[in-house]
Amino acid sequence: MGNKQTVFTHEQLEAYQDCTFFTRKEIMRLFYRYQDLAPQLVPLDYTSCPDVKVPYELIGSMPELKDNPFRQRIAQVFSEDGDGHMTLDNFLDMFSVMSEMAPRDLKAYYAFKIYDFNDDDYICMWDLEQTVTKLTRGELSAEEVTLVCEKVLDEADGDHDGRLSLEDFQNMILRAPDFLSTFHIRI
Amino acid sequence: MLSDDQVNEIIIDIENVPSGVQSHLSSNLNLAAKMLKNSSFSVVSSISDNDVTDSQIISHQNNKKAKQLLRFSASLNESFAQTLHCPEHVDIDTPCTSHENIQEQKLIASLIPMTSRERIKAIRNQPRTMEEKRNLRKMVDKEKSKQSHRILELNCCTQCLNSISLAYRRSKNCLSELLDSISLWQKTLKVIGGKFGTSVLSYFNFLRWLLKFNIFSFIVTFSFIIIPQFTVAERNTLQFTGLEFFTGAGYFHDTVMYYGFYTNSTIQHRNSGVFYNMQLAYLFTIAACLIICLFSLLFSMATYFRNNFINPHIYSRGITKLIFCWDFTITHERAVKLKQKNLSTEIKENLSEIRQENIKLTLNQQLTRLSVHLAAWVVSTGVAIACCVAVYYLAENNLEFLQSHRNPGAVLLLPFMVSCINLAVPRFYSVFKLVEHYDVPRQEVYVVLIRNIFLKISIIGILCYYWLNIVALAGEQCWETLIGQEIYRLLLMDFVFSLTDSFLGEFLRRIVGTHFITSLSLQEFDIARNVLELIYAQTLVWIGTFFCPLLPFIQMITLFIMFYVKNISLMMNFQPPSKAWRASQMMTFFIFLLFFPSFTGVLCTLAITIWRLKPSADCGPFRGLPFFIHSIYSWIDTLSKRPSYLWVVWIYQNLIGSVHFFFILTLIVLIITYLYWQITEGRKIMIRLLHEQIINEGKDKMFLIEKLTKLQDAEKRANPSSSTLERRDMEEPGPLHGWEHEAASDLRFRRSVQEGNSNA
Repeated sequence: MGNKQTVFTHEQLEAYQDCTFFTRKEIMRLFYRYQDLAPQLVPLDYTSCPDVKVPYELIGSMPELKDNPFRQRIAQVFSEDGDGHMTLDNFLDMFSVMSEMAPRDLKAYYAFKIYDFNDDDYICMWDLEQTVTKLTRGELSAEEVTLVCEKVLDEADGDHDGRLSLEDFQNMILRAPDFLSTFHIRI
Repeated sequence: MLSDDQVNEIIIDIENVPSGVQSHLSSNLNLAAKMLKNSSFSVVSSISDNDVTDSQIISHQNNKKAKQLLRFSASLNESFAQTLHCPEHVDIDTPCTSHENIQEQKLIASLIPMTSRERIKAIRNQPRTMEEKRNLRKMVDKEKSKQSHRILELNCCTQCLNSISLAYRRSKNCLSELLDSISLWQKTLKVIGGKFGTSVLSYFNFLRWLLKFNIFSFIVTFSFIIIPQFTVAERNTLQFTGLEFFTGAGYFHDTVMYYGFYTNSTIQHRNSGVFYNMQLAYLFTIAACLIICLFSLLFSMATYFRNNFINPHIYSRGITKLIFCWDFTITHERAVKLKQKNLSTEIKENLSEIRQENIKLTLNQQLTRLSVHLAAWVVSTGVAIACCVAVYYLAENNLEFLQSHRNPGAVLLLPFMVSCINLAVPRFYSVFKLVEHYDVPRQEVYVVLIRNIFLKISIIGILCYYWLNIVALAGEQCWETLIGQEIYRLLLMDFVFSLTDSFLGEFLRRIVGTHFITSLSLQEFDIARNVLELIYAQTLVWIGTFFCPLLPFIQMITLFIMFYVKNISLMMNFQPPSKAWRASQMMTFFIFLLFFPSFTGVLCTLAITIWRLKPSADCGPFRGLPFFIHSIYSWIDTLSKRPSYLWVVWIYQNLIGSVHFFFILTLIVLIITYLYWQITEGRKIMIRLLHEQIINEGKDKMFLIEKLTKLQDAEKRANPSSSTLERRDMEEPGPLHGWEHEAASDLRFRRSVQEGNSNA
C-alpha cells in the first residue's frame, strides 16, 4: 500500500486530491475506469500530461450513465468544448461534482447548466419542454407538457420574467431537500 | 421619449454601490441614457423573445463564463461578495479578459488569508474546470510563498501550526481511505440504488448505520467488561441443550451473557498488582456506550435537520420537484423505464389534482370526513391499548403458567404474542387507508407512522413497567438475569418472525401477484414499516445491554443476516416504488424518532433502574448494595480519603451532585435557545421580505420594458424616415442589451451585497 503507482507524479496526485472530493485511492480507481473505456487511446503514464480525449460514445456507454436520460447533457456540460468528448480532468470533475461529498450549491450550479439545453444561462420554456420530454419519454401529450412547463414557471419563477435564472433555481432547490441525495452518481 | 426623471431614477438607484464601481456604472448609464433618448435600438425585441436568439447577444465565451461565475459566487459565499463587479464596456469588440483577470485577482486575494483547510474547501467548491482550479491553486501557493518571503520574521509558532495541520489533514485522508476500504456492502448498495432508487436505498443505509452503533457497543463492552470477566470465570455446571438459543435460559444462565454471572469483586492481576473494580467498570462502560450513542445521534440529527428541514409555510407540494429531482442513482435500464412511466403518472395526477384543487367540500362531506378520521383514530388507539393490556395480563400470569406447564419452551409464549401483535396490527392499520381520505398524501404517511409508533412504544413501555415494577420487586433470585433473558427472547422471536415474513410472506405474495391475481402485480417495499421494526429492535437492544452485555453482539449478527435476507427478497419479490418518497425528510423523521421516544425512553428506564431499584442479593456485580448507584457513592468515599484524587471528589460534589449547578446550566441553555429562536423568527421575516422584493424587481423590469416599447413605437410612428437608421442600429443590439442585462443583475447583486453587509 502506498505510493507505488507510476501513473501520476506526486504533485499531480496532490493537485487532484485538493481539487476534487476524492481520496488518492478513489482517484486511481477512477483513472483505471477511464482507461478501461478506451485502452488504446488512454496511456498508462500521465506524468507528461498527454492531451487525450475519450469520445462521447464511449463515455455514454458507461454503466453508470448509459440509461440516464440526461447523459448527453451531462457529458456536454463537463466536457472541454461542450461536445461531450472528455479528458481525464473533465471525467474526474464530473464524478467529483456528482459524488455525495459535493455541497448543494455546487450541485445546483451544474444541475442548472445540465437543464439549460440552449446554454443561455436561463432555463426558458423550450429548455423545460426538453427536460419534461426526456423525463417522461413520450407518455405525456403535447398540451400536458406545455401545462407542466407553465406550472413550473409559475411556481419557481421568482422575478416573473418568464424563465428561470440561477437564483430562481437555487431557491427552488432549497425547498427540495431530496435534491442532494438524488443528484448523485455512485462510481 | 424617456423622461428625464425616469433616467435620473435609474442613476439615483445606484448611488449606494461601492465607490469603485460607481464611476464605471454611472458613466455607462449616462451613455446608455443618451442612447435611450435617441431610442435607436431595439432592446425590447431581443428581450421579449424568450428563445435562442438571446444567446447570440452574449457572444463571447469568456464574458459569459465570467458572468456565470460572478452570479454563482455572489449567491454562494460572503467572501466572494467582496469581488467587485466590473461592468463590460459598451464596445463589444474588446475581449473582456480584464474583467476576468480582476475577478480572479480578487478571488486569489480572498483565498490567501484562509487556512489551508478552508482554502482547499473553497477551491473544491468552485464551479470551475479542473485546469482552472489547478491554476488557481498554483497561483495561490505562489502568492503565499511570495508573501511569506516578504515577512522575514516567520513566526515559529505559525510554522509549527502549519505542519501540524498538514499532518492532521494527511492522517485524516489516510483514515478516510482506510474506512472506505473496510466499508461494508458498497457494491451491493450501488446495485440496490441502481435498481430501486434512493428511497429504498435509505432503508439499507439506515440499517448499516445502526450496525455501526452495535459494532461500537460490542467492542466497548467486550474489551471492558467481558474480557475481565473471562479471567475470573467460574466453571459452568449446567447442561447444554439446543433449546438455549431460543430461550436464552439453561446453559446460558451462567455465562458472560447475563448480568448475574459477573463478579462483584475487584479483580487483581497477580503479577502487576493492577486493580480492576468490576462494579465501576460495568457502570462506566454502559454509561460510555450510551453517551457516545447520544452524541452520535445528536450530531446526525443536527446534520439532517440543517440540510433537510424546511419551513412548512414555504414548502410547496408542487410539480417543480418532480421535474428537477430526477434520481440519478438509478442505472438499471428497466428501472429507468419504470421510473419514467411512474413519473408520468405522478405528473398527470399532479395536474389533475391542481384542476380539482378549487373544489370545495360541502359541510356535510367535511363532517363525514372528520368523523371517519375520528373513528379511525379511536379504533386504532383502542386496539393499541387492548394489545398493551393483553400483554400485561399475559406477563403477569406468565409465572403461574410456567410453573404449571413445566415445559422449558413455554417461556416463549410471551415473546410469541408480542411478535404476533407487531406483525398483525400494523397491517390492520393499513386497512384504514381504504376508508380514510386525505387531502395531502404526505399526511397519510405521517398518520400511519404515528399509529405504528404509538403501538410499538406502548408495548415496550408496558413491558418495561412490568419488568421494573413487578419482576424486580418480586423477590426472585436473580431478577436482572431474568429481565435479560426476556429481552433476548423478544429480540430473537422478532428476528425469527422477520425472517419468516421475508422468506414465506413476501415470496408467497409474489407468487399470488404474478400467477393468480395478476392485477395485484409485485408489491412495493414498505420502507416505513421496515424502518420502524429496526427502531423497535434497537430500542430493545439499548435497554437490554445493561442486563445482558452480549446483546449488541447478537444484534450485530441479526442485522448482518437481515441485510442479506432483505436484499435477496428485494431483488426477487419487489418492484421499484411508484410514488416519490421524500427520502431525506423521512430519514430526518426516523432519526428523530430514534432519538426522541426511543433513546430517551431507554435513558429513563436505565435511570430508574440505577437510582431506584435494589440489586439482587446474590448475583451480579452489584450484589448486596441497597441501590446500584451506591457503588459510585462508595467509590467517591474511598477517593476522598486519598489526597491526590480530591479534584475528582470536588467535581462530583459540586458539579454532578449539586442541584444549583444544573439549575444554572438549564437556565443558561433555555436563554440561549430563546435567543436563537428569536433570531430564526427574524430571519424568516427577512426571507419573506426579500422574496417580495424579488417579485417587485421583476415587476419593475416589466414596467420599464413596456415603457420602452411604447416609447419606441411612438418614435417609429413619429419619424418614419429614420427607419433606416434604426435598422443599422438594430444590428448591434448586443452591448446595450448586455448592459440592460448587466444592470438588472447589477441591481440584484447590489442588493445582495447590501444584505450581506447589513448582516455582517
